Amino acid sequence: MSDTQGRTPLEAALSRRDFLRTTGAAAAATAALAETPAAFAEAAPANLSVKGMGPQPIKLTLDVNDASVTTAVEPRVTLLDALRNYLDVTGCKRVCDRGTCGACTVMVDGKPIYSCTMLAVEAEGKKIKTAESLIDGGKLDAVPAAFVKYDAQQCGFCTPGFVVAMRAAFDKNPRATPAEIEEALSGNICRCGTYQQMRDAIAELCNKQKKGG
Amino acid sequence: MATSWPKKRRLIGTKIQRLDGPVKATGKAKYSYDINRPGMLHAVLLRCPHAHAKIKSLDAADAEKMPGVKAIYAIKKAGEELYWAGEEILGLAADTEEHALDAVRAVKIEYEVLPHIVKEEDALKEDRKTVSPVGGKRDNVLAAKDAADDAFDKGMTDAAVKVEGSYGVPVVCHQCLESHGLVAEWGEDGGLTVWASTQAVWGTAVELARYFAGKYKIDLPAEKVKCITHYMGGGFGSKFGPDIQGLVAAELARTAKAPVKLMLDRASEIVAGGNRPSAYGKVRIGATKDGKITAYEVDCYGTPGVGVTDTVTFNALPYVYPIAYKRKHTRIRTNAAMQRAMRAPNHPQNCTLTEFILDDLAAKLGMDPLQLRLKNLPQNDAEKAKIAPHSLDALKNTIYTREIEIAAALSKWKEKWHPPGKTDGVVKHGIGMALHTWGGQASPQSNECTVTIHADGSVVARTSTQDLGTGQRTVTALVTAEILGLEPGQITLEFGESTFGASTGSGGSTTIPSQSPATLRAATAARDDLFAKVAPKLDAKPEDLIVGVEGKILDKAKNKPWTWKEICARLDKEQAKGTGFWNYGESIKPDNRDVSSSGVGGVQIAEVLVDTETGVVRCTRIVAVQDCGMVVNPLTCESQVAGGVIMGLNYALFEERIMDRATGRMVNPDMEFYKLGGIEDMPQIVVHLHDMPERGVIGVGEPPVISTHAAIGNAIFNAIGARVGQTPFTPERVLAALAAKGGKR
Repeated sequence: MSDTQGRTPLEAALSRRDFLRTTGAAAAATAALAETPAAFAEAAPANLSVKGMGPQPIKLTLDVNDASVTTAVEPRVTLLDALRNYLDVTGCKRVCDRGTCGACTVMVDGKPIYSCTMLAVEAEGKKIKTAESLIDGGKLDAVPAAFVKYDAQQCGFCTPGFVVAMRAAFDKNPRATPAEIEEALSGNICRCGTYQQMRDAIAELCNKQKKGG
Repeated sequence: MATSWPKKRRLIGTKIQRLDGPVKATGKAKYSYDINRPGMLHAVLLRCPHAHAKIKSLDAADAEKMPGVKAIYAIKKAGEELYWAGEEILGLAADTEEHALDAVRAVKIEYEVLPHIVKEEDALKEDRKTVSPVGGKRDNVLAAKDAADDAFDKGMTDAAVKVEGSYGVPVVCHQCLESHGLVAEWGEDGGLTVWASTQAVWGTAVELARYFAGKYKIDLPAEKVKCITHYMGGGFGSKFGPDIQGLVAAELARTAKAPVKLMLDRASEIVAGGNRPSAYGKVRIGATKDGKITAYEVDCYGTPGVGVTDTVTFNALPYVYPIAYKRKHTRIRTNAAMQRAMRAPNHPQNCTLTEFILDDLAAKLGMDPLQLRLKNLPQNDAEKAKIAPHSLDALKNTIYTREIEIAAALSKWKEKWHPPGKTDGVVKHGIGMALHTWGGQASPQSNECTVTIHADGSVVARTSTQDLGTGQRTVTALVTAEILGLEPGQITLEFGESTFGASTGSGGSTTIPSQSPATLRAATAARDDLFAKVAPKLDAKPEDLIVGVEGKILDKAKNKPWTWKEICARLDKEQAKGTGFWNYGESIKPDNRDVSSSGVGGVQIAEVLVDTETGVVRCTRIVAVQDCGMVVNPLTCESQVAGGVIMGLNYALFEERIMDRATGRMVNPDMEFYKLGGIEDMPQIVVHLHDMPERGVIGVGEPPVISTHAAIGNAIFNAIGARVGQTPFTPERVLAALAAKGGKR
């Protein structure tokens, strides 16, 4: 037994991300029946609010770290993969690739999101900020600076995701308590075990914010 | 010439921030996974969905015609047998990752599905001989090893008190966040460059060179293969050498004449990227009424997957404590990926099979388990002390006794310990402890370092070794700066490339005790070379020049200080250079003793709260006391210890590879159901480094992970008065243990 892509049910069920891909590919299959994507679009009922796109790569302009960048990706490509594979923005890491671990966290219009759970085409017109935006000409943002000071990173692969999630939490509430920051980080996973040092960093940042306010 | 650490140390032993901290925290550091090369292809692997099968037919013709496909490499062919679900069959490279994923699904493959065994207990019930032949035999259950001490029988017969129990730990997975894999690129000169996620930079280059030179009869000396690992996203023992995916990536790159990236996806990483073998055992122990243990017996088994290695350290059972023993170990081969070394290989298993029963015995004796441990510690070995006065063997009793005292004070053991289960309320508090040991000496093979000083005052320290997140890069700069009177940030590092000299894989906690002395020697030689070259130009004698305070170089004879820049400027068009190497052989030469040494102890005390209605365990506090000789950088050293504790806590409460008996597949190859704790699950962690600078440098990467789960397990026993014998200590198991105890809460 297999699905339209020749996968076994287990493989098909393996990843939510694959679900996104399948959706993209299903649209592609429908389009192929209608000969060309253009024909598909024409054949669509007038009241259909969603326009089909793909399967060919489509041109895309994204606002990444205050720069407008252009690429072409298939509609099924996630924001994470577009950033990493097509735009060489690699601060967001691919780890679980299904919205569990938080290593791919970026800010979209100021909100922290798992970039593996958003399609690149959905991110057009939105302001995307990755961890790379938290250093400006050698000047470190307070959050990564605290990570460095307290050694809240070892291999560092999860770190940009944590840093972005923490930055977003302080942006949302500059007077957040350590417990609130920890809650904001509960969607991120570290394997080396840097949480104790992260707590030291959080304590200092919360303290600073309190004094600053 | 004798090698020794400076008597007065300015930087060593002080907290130095990671030099690569800012680039890592802001995502600017390029890991192997992050390398994008011009014209690079993306590769994926086709894996076997069955736990045991024979390939009836394999047809990649359609896949080859799929859009963007540039190369296919068949690992297996029709007629071959596959022995675990996830075993690699074929690799394929295409212009985009999307195209590669589409194309691999177009490979037509038919299997003859064969019987499998994925659970240890199933093999013990019926050996169906489902694994790859070793010496012509396919047995799942290998012949048991056994051994007994002459004193065992008498020890057990004479024992006034006897206790027995069953304990175990399941297979767990390395779960490196940066998955295994590499980017391979062949150069026009026939050389190969790889950006590999590896904990053996030099070894990976050597292995790739050997493989391709041998297979294709091409001239590919090791120096024509360059392995680059500037940053590495976790290894924990699972990333030595190019691995099958590395070889396949390089094969595909060779065929396609283009760079190829092949990094494992998460499910593959968990299934194939490494696992720690299981160990389950029945243990029996005998003691005198006053708590002197007289005999220890264990009969245990575990699975190394399709491998054949032991799943415990057989000769170290019982663990830590010297007791008359009788031991038996059975290896069970199952249809699952072969085990790999995982952070202190087999020591957590040994710890499980020793430390749990100690507390069960203490309960029967009505003794404080801390006192029981003190009573049964190994003695200092006077003979060993004559040869190596600072070795663990010479100091075992001294070190463990002191560490237990420190841990007890930091955890307020005296106030907090109570007889097992003797607390009121639904949520019960418990406290427990466990001990561990590890080696951590210099590697048998040499590690090299080169330090070069330039006329502009810049200093380059060069080594091929890798920084897995341990902080080795910073340590190399720190040691160089110590010797030259500079700050670590002034040292330029050329690091993590195989062409930078010989180094060994980061296994066995051998990197820092190998690298630090090599750096010490290189920096010292470079300094001496500098002084020899500039002295005539300063009208000084080389032996009168010394590194003084505040980075000044002092001419002792004239009492004249020079700045570093002034001194280096005298090099003119020359440079000063020093090289150094270190290995285990060097470390045991009488002249070099106490530069690096071997053997550590370690004591951990955990506190838990156990909800007796839900079975939920929350670990609230862990004290970890760890020695590792001379602490070079306490900041990163504490991180290592705290990180080990957290990994151990994950073993205790969350981690388990779950295999499905029917399909033979792992059912939790993900990060939702293969659980790891998040920040809110963490206890307060108190790290105490028991600094013993007179012992020289010893590695610390592995030991802190060993005993955490056992300390937590003993804390649970202390809380509820019932033994939960298997990790992870899930609510289900806690409730089962409470029920077995008889519902008395």
